[in-house]
Amino acid sequence: MNIELTVNGQARSVQCEERTLLADLLRDSLGLTGTHIGCDTSQCGCCTVHVDGQAVKSCTMLAAQADGCDIVTIEGLAKGERLHAVQQAFSACHGLQCGFCTPGMIMASVDLLKRHPEPTDEQITEGLAGNLCRCTGYVNIVAAVKTAALQINAGASQGARS
Amino acid sequence: MNTIIDPRHSELVASRHEDLRLVTGQGKYTADWHLPGQLHACMVRSDRAHARLVSVDTAGAIASPGVVTVLTARDVAEAGFHEIPSGMALTGTDGRPQVKSPLPLLAIDRVRFVGQPIAMVIADTAMAARDAAEQVLVDYEELPAVASMPAALAEGAPQLHEAHPGNIGLVFETGDRAAVDAAFAKAARTTTLRVHSQRLIGAPMELRACLAAYDAQRELFTIYTPTQGMLGMRSSLAAVTGLDASRIEVVAQDVGGSFGLRGGPYAEHALVMLAARKLGRPVKWVGSRSEVFTSDWHGRALTIEASVALDADNHILAFRYENEADLGAYSCYWQSMIGTKNISVTMGGVYKVPALYARSTLVYTNTVPVSAYRGAGRPDIAYVIERLMDQAAAEHGLDRVMLRRRNFIPPSDFPYTTANGTVYDCGEFAQVMDKALTLADYAGFAARRQASEAQGRLRGIGFGCYLEASGAGGAPKDAVSALFRDDGLIHLYGVTGPSGQGHETSFAQIVSDGLGVPRQLIRYHASDPGHELMGNGTGGSRSLYGAGSAFKVLVGNLIAQARPHAVRALAATEATLEFRDGAFHAGEHHISLLDLARALRGPSPHPLDCGGESTSGTTFPNGCHVAEVEIDPSTGVTEVSAYTAVDDLGYVVSPQLVQGQVHGGVLQGAGQVFGEHAIYDEESAQLLSGSFMDYVMPRVGWVPNIRTDYHLVPTKLNALGAKGVGESGCSGSLPGLVNAMSDALRRVGVPPMDMPFTPAIVWRALQSAGELKS
Repeated sequence: MNIELTVNGQARSVQCEERTLLADLLRDSLGLTGTHIGCDTSQCGCCTVHVDGQAVKSCTMLAAQADGCDIVTIEGLAKGERLHAVQQAFSACHGLQCGFCTPGMIMASVDLLKRHPEPTDEQITEGLAGNLCRCTGYVNIVAAVKTAALQINAGASQGARS
Repeated sequence: MNTIIDPRHSELVASRHEDLRLVTGQGKYTADWHLPGQLHACMVRSDRAHARLVSVDTAGAIASPGVVTVLTARDVAEAGFHEIPSGMALTGTDGRPQVKSPLPLLAIDRVRFVGQPIAMVIADTAMAARDAAEQVLVDYEELPAVASMPAALAEGAPQLHEAHPGNIGLVFETGDRAAVDAAFAKAARTTTLRVHSQRLIGAPMELRACLAAYDAQRELFTIYTPTQGMLGMRSSLAAVTGLDASRIEVVAQDVGGSFGLRGGPYAEHALVMLAARKLGRPVKWVGSRSEVFTSDWHGRALTIEASVALDADNHILAFRYENEADLGAYSCYWQSMIGTKNISVTMGGVYKVPALYARSTLVYTNTVPVSAYRGAGRPDIAYVIERLMDQAAAEHGLDRVMLRRRNFIPPSDFPYTTANGTVYDCGEFAQVMDKALTLADYAGFAARRQASEAQGRLRGIGFGCYLEASGAGGAPKDAVSALFRDDGLIHLYGVTGPSGQGHETSFAQIVSDGLGVPRQLIRYHASDPGHELMGNGTGGSRSLYGAGSAFKVLVGNLIAQARPHAVRALAATEATLEFRDGAFHAGEHHISLLDLARALRGPSPHPLDCGGESTSGTTFPNGCHVAEVEIDPSTGVTEVSAYTAVDDLGYVVSPQLVQGQVHGGVLQGAGQVFGEHAIYDEESAQLLSGSFMDYVMPRVGWVPNIRTDYHLVPTKLNALGAKGVGESGCSGSLPGLVNAMSDALRRVGVPPMDMPFTPAIVWRALQSAGELKS
C-alpha cells in the first residue's frame, strides 16, 4: 500500500506492506534509524516519536494509521543549527550513557514538558514511566528534564519580553 | 566513528564526545547498519525445555516466499564450525579438570532449554524470514525437565548431560576447611544465613544483533555487533569457525549496553558468518526482546549459605560458605568462574578474617546458560557478607557499626593477604564507613523512624561496606596508540569496547590532562587500524585503569618522541627544552605540540605516531552505601527515602561520568532488590517472566536521590591510581538496600527474606508476621 505522511517537515510517499509498523517504516523505508526498537511489547519507549504533536511509541501503530499525519523523529527535533533544549540538557546533565534509550527518552520528555512546563517529580515519573533506561539510573534524566524546563521557560519569558 | 563536534553545536563541548551524535539520532547501533544486498535471518528456537529432536522439517520454510536458505545442525557440521567457547576449566574437589558441555550453534539431537537455537531461516526481508520460520516443523519427543537447582539436585532428577551425573557440573572448594572448622568449634557465637541471589536478565536496551559480510577475495569476514571488546570476540569467533583471527574484523560503532553479556559470541554470530560465506551476501540478524530473554546469557542465580564465627570480643574468627551456582543448560565462558573464584577471591570482604573456606556446587538446569552480569559474583558476595554482619549483630544484640569497626582491616596492615591468599593493596575502610554514615545522618535516624512510625509506616536504614576484586584481564597488557592525521587532531586507538561508559571522553581527558591539549582536539576510537594492539575488553570494571593507564604512559612516550623534533624546530638544545601546557618551550620560543605535528606532516606514518602500554592486575574498589527505606504496610510498597554512596575508586578522571556509573550500578542493584526476577515454571521449565511486561525492570523514580561522594585511596597497581567503578554500584546497593529493608522488617518480626522485595512479597511477609492482624 501507499502511505503519504509528513516526516520532519518533509512530505513523504512510501510503499509498504499493510502490516508494517510505523517504527519499521521510519527505520527501514525512510532510513531514520535514530528511532530505536528495544522490545516487542511496547514497554521500552525507545521508539517514541511525535505524531501530530503527541508522543507515541511508534511500534504501537501501523504505518497505515500514520497516513496523513505529521511525524517528528529525533532527527527532526533540532531546529537547523540549534539543538532542542531537551537534547542540550540530556548531554549537559549526563542523562545518557549508551544512548540507545535516549531518542525515545528525549521525545517523551519534549511531550512531557509541553503538557507540564514546570513539571513536578511525580509528573516526570509519570511522564517517563513508559521509557526504560538500563544505564543511567534515571537520576540524571530527571535532572535533564528539569534543566530543560528552566531553559525553555527562560527562553519563553525572554521571547515574551522582546 | 567519532563524529567531530560540529562547531555550530559548541554548547556541547563541555559534555561527552559521544553525546552529540546520540542526542540527535545519529548514533549507529548494529541494527542501523544496512549493507548492499544484505539478507535477513530469523531463528527457530526450542519451545520445549528438554526434548529429543526427532526431526527438523525445513521444506515448508524453504518454499516460503523470499526464503534463500535454512541452516540446521547439518550445515554447521559441514562447515566444521565448533560449539560456543566454554571458558577455562577449573579443578574440582576430585582433583580432575572440569568437563564442559558447550552449547552447539544449532541443536543436533536434543534441546535442553527454551530458547535453544534449532535453525536459522534466511530470506530477502526480515518479515519474510519471520514468516518462514513459522513453517519450520520441529518434531520433539519431550523429556522431563528441571527448572531449578533443588529440582536438579533431587534424588532421581531428570539428567541433562551424561557427562554430569546428578546434574553436577563441578564441586569446587577453596580455603582451609580444617582451620574454619576449628574456629567454629571454639567460637563464642556464630550466625548462619542462607540467601539466594536470584536469576536476572541483563537486558541491555539495544537488542542483540549481528551482521556479517564476507569478502571472498580477501577471505575476510566483517562482523558488525555490539561487543565489549573486539579482540575477545575475534578470538572466540576464530575458535568457533576454525579461521585465523586475522580473517575476522569486528565493528562496533555504538553499543547499547552490555553489562557482561557481550564479552563473546553467541550462536547467531557464527551462523550469520556461515551464511554470508555460503550465500555470498551479507546476512543480518536482529533479535526480538522476547527471544533475547530466552537466549542472552542470564545472570546471578546463586545460592550462598554463609556462616560467621565470632570470639567473645566479637572479633571474626572465620567465614564459611556453602554455595550452589546455577549454570543453566550448557557451559559458556565466565560461567563457572562466577560461583567459584569470583565470589571466593574477596570472601573475607573488608574484614580481618583468620580462616576462610568456601565450597561451591555447580548445577545444570533446563534454563538459559548463566554468565557474567554486572559484577559477575562480586555484588553477590558483597551482599552476603554484609547481610551476614547485620544478621549476626541482630541475633546477638550487637551494634552493627561497632561489629564492623572492630573487624576492619586497618590501613597499617596493607598490603594485606587474606586467609585464602588474595592480596589487597590498600584501603581505608573505617574512614569510608564513617564518611558515609555521617553524610547519611545515621545518628539522626531514630527521629526519622519515629516520624514514619507515627504515620503508620515502617522505616529502616542499612548499609553495606563492600569490597570487590576488579578484573585482572585475560590479555597480559593493555596497549593503545596515538596517530596524527591531516585533520590536525590527535587520534587515539584502543581495543576495549565501550557501551555507554564514555571512553571517548575519559581517554581523551587523560591524554588532554597529560599533554595540555584541549580534549576537543583528541578523538578516541575503539578500533585497531594497524592490527597491532593487544588488550582487554570491557569487563570487571577495568577499562579505565587498564587502557586509561596505557594512555597515561602514552603521554610520556609521545612527549619523549616529539622532543628531538621540537629541538630542531626551535633550533634549541635538549637541555633548554621544556614541555608544558601543550607546547615545547626554549627560552622565548615555543611551538605547540599540534603545530609541531602539523609541520612534520608527510608520508605516513607520522613521526609522532606512538603507543603506550600498561600492565594492570586486579584492584580493590570499595565503599560504603547507606540506604534508607520507608514501607507502607498496607500495600507493601517501599520508597527509597535516601541513598548515600561513598566509594573508594582510587582516582577519578571524569567526575560526572563516574557519578553516572554509580547511579546506574545502584539502580541495577535496586532492580534486583525490588523487582527483577527471571522466573521459570517448575514443571515445564518455561520462562514465565519472558518480556518487559512480566519482568520487572527498574523505572524512573525508584531511587530518586542518590548522593555520591568519595574517599579516594589511590592504588599503586597501575599508572593512574584508579581502581575502577563499573560494578561498584551493584556491590554497594544490594547490601545497602536489603539491610535497610531487613532493618525495617525485622522490627515487626519478619524473618530474613530473599530478594526481590516486591510489594506483594513484602505485604505477604508482613501479613505472616502478624503485623496487620489487629
